[in-house]
Amino acid sequence: MSTIVFDKERVSELRKQKIQHPWRKRPRKFTFSVALAVLLPAAVAAGLLFGTDIPDPLVMILVYLPLQLVAAALAAIVSKGKHGIADSIIYVFAIGGSVFSLVILLSLIFTLFVNGLKAFSTQFLFQNNVYISPSTPLDYGGVGHAILGTLLIVGISMLVAIPIGVATAIYVTEVRGRAVPYVRFFVQAMSGVPSVVAGLFILTVLILTGALSTSALAGGLAYAILMLPTVARTAEEVLRLIPEDLRTGALALGSTRARTVMKVVLPAAKTGIVTAIVLGMARVIGETAPLLLVTGYSDSTVLNPVSSPISALPTYIFANVDQPYPNAVTRAWGAALVLIILVGILFVIARILGRGKVK
Amino acid sequence: MSTAEFDQSVETLEPSMSGRSPALPIQLTARDISVWFGKRKVLEGVNIDFPKNTVTALIGPSGCGKSTFIRTLNRLHELIPGAALAGEVLYEGKDIYSPDIDPTHIRLNIGMVFQKPNPFPSMSIRGNVLSGLKLSGMKRSNHDDIVEETLTAAGLWNEVKDRLGAHAGELSGGQAQRLVIARALAVQPHVLLMDEPCSALDPASTLKIEETIRELSKDITVIIVTHNMQQAVRVSDYTAFFLAAENEPGHVVEQGPTTDIFSNPRDQRTLDYVNGRFG
Ligand SMILES: Nc1ncnc2c1ncn2[C@@H]1O[C@H](COP(=O)(O)OP(=O)(O)O)[C@@H](O)[C@H]1O
Ligand SMILES: [Mg+2]
Repeated sequence: MSTIVFDKERVSELRKQKIQHPWRKRPRKFTFSVALAVLLPAAVAAGLLFGTDIPDPLVMILVYLPLQLVAAALAAIVSKGKHGIADSIIYVFAIGGSVFSLVILLSLIFTLFVNGLKAFSTQFLFQNNVYISPSTPLDYGGVGHAILGTLLIVGISMLVAIPIGVATAIYVTEVRGRAVPYVRFFVQAMSGVPSVVAGLFILTVLILTGALSTSALAGGLAYAILMLPTVARTAEEVLRLIPEDLRTGALALGSTRARTVMKVVLPAAKTGIVTAIVLGMARVIGETAPLLLVTGYSDSTVLNPVSSPISALPTYIFANVDQPYPNAVTRAWGAALVLIILVGILFVIARILGRGKVK
Repeated sequence: MSTAEFDQSVETLEPSMSGRSPALPIQLTARDISVWFGKRKVLEGVNIDFPKNTVTALIGPSGCGKSTFIRTLNRLHELIPGAALAGEVLYEGKDIYSPDIDPTHIRLNIGMVFQKPNPFPSMSIRGNVLSGLKLSGMKRSNHDDIVEETLTAAGLWNEVKDRLGAHAGELSGGQAQRLVIARALAVQPHVLLMDEPCSALDPASTLKIEETIRELSKDITVIIVTHNMQQAVRVSDYTAFFLAAENEPGHVVEQGPTTDIFSNPRDQRTLDYVNGRFG
């Protein structure tokens, strides 16, 4: 090979090069066969769905899915040869699966909005349920008291469960004490506790003994039992992902174990910890059974978390949904919509808090 | 420190045997260090004196226990589950493994730079340089000066001086390595352990780091693991050659002044290794 020097003369010519993405080009027969593979099974399925009386799920599972698999395999053979078949089948299942769950999710949210928006108004968000009977027109009353109740109960459970959950995760991944296997077993067992059992536990141990009255605090403690394992396990997974190098690096600078955890490991895991908290919150916020047992019910706005029965969104929904009055049922839908929106808002807040700046 | 073969290495315990500069006090001594992972012995009977304010290179093929050895010198070895150790490490005459010694104090005085750069991702560039102060609770004033001095010594200042607040995660591998060198210098250790610090660096940064090591050795003791023979010759005063036969624990085959090890080794295996004939 002889030496070649870059030719400066060519610069002006090279500057004219256009941005390209050669890997995006597909052969025409690929585009064509993929289009066919998508359209044909869909057309057949649509014909059967709308043209015949065969139940929809049967059409989808017995006709559409096999047809789509065959079509995708054929398209793969046409464009990539035989080795493309496995690819195409995985694609069909992956795309099919995601579309399926997306459809379910969207239809759920759609139903919620369609039914819930009927109840919606400013007064629905801010007023309480005092003087409201199941048949009262929707222009009166609201779920303000239940929103406050949910926030209060979930807030109390977070105050209890997050420190304990994160501390448990730190014990398992950072302290690595002797009891780790037992702690992990315990947390795992705890995540199998049915929510009604958590409620019964608080009821029998704290309320029937007279230690606590029916209140937001009792509800928060019941929620905390449910939230704790979610927070602990997710935080543990997250802390495990932090490279060992970082801990060693901090210790090599003369750091103590505690400082290493507080100033290096936890900050590095911050977004993950926030995810753990969000998941813990999502785990409990809609739980109804424990609240029925330990928080009681109230139509008025309650700010006292320790000694007064209180309503939350799930208990409000529960109380209204099976009433023989359409207005009460609509109120229940409205409360369900509020609950979903509340979860969304809390997610966003948590994400923003989790981002943070570097120091 | 004399050129002693492994089986004669007990002699190196006598400071009077120091061939070159008999006046140099010994800052750090490894005495009969043997190391196990679980039941497996990976290092056996290592005896090395590290005279104050000198540079010692540890050389030898991969897997012979250099990293393991260097981690016994600042009590990082014990963090590995299953780790065990026999022997003593004397820092300024006192065994760092004696029960009344606080390991964080040892690690603050005996700093370390790892083979793989490990900047703290949650901190900025500046935050990383100063992290040792925060983590060890050490008080030093003039943080701006510390940042500039240490980053300059690590050869990174010019590249990052305009973005000290940026995420450390934005740096390239070589830049990250120079950042952690600066971080180690900011706590002013008396001994600096470096485990193949230049293996991820370009030639220019490598030269800069070597210059820094020479500069540092006026004030501190440096122990550096390297696979680069020229580097060992360029930076070190003393060299110890580690070797492990198959399924045997590693040991120090030969140690002494770098010039002797490279120009006039006593053991055939040392001669072969420094001339690149194996390893
Ligand atoms: N964490 C560990 N657990 C078990 N064995 C290890 C561990 N680290 C290193 N070893 C073993 O110890 C020996 C020495 O390794 P190391 O000190 O990394 O060698 P070097 O740094 O000289 O390449 C090797 O045989 C390696 O397999
Ligand atoms: Mg190594």
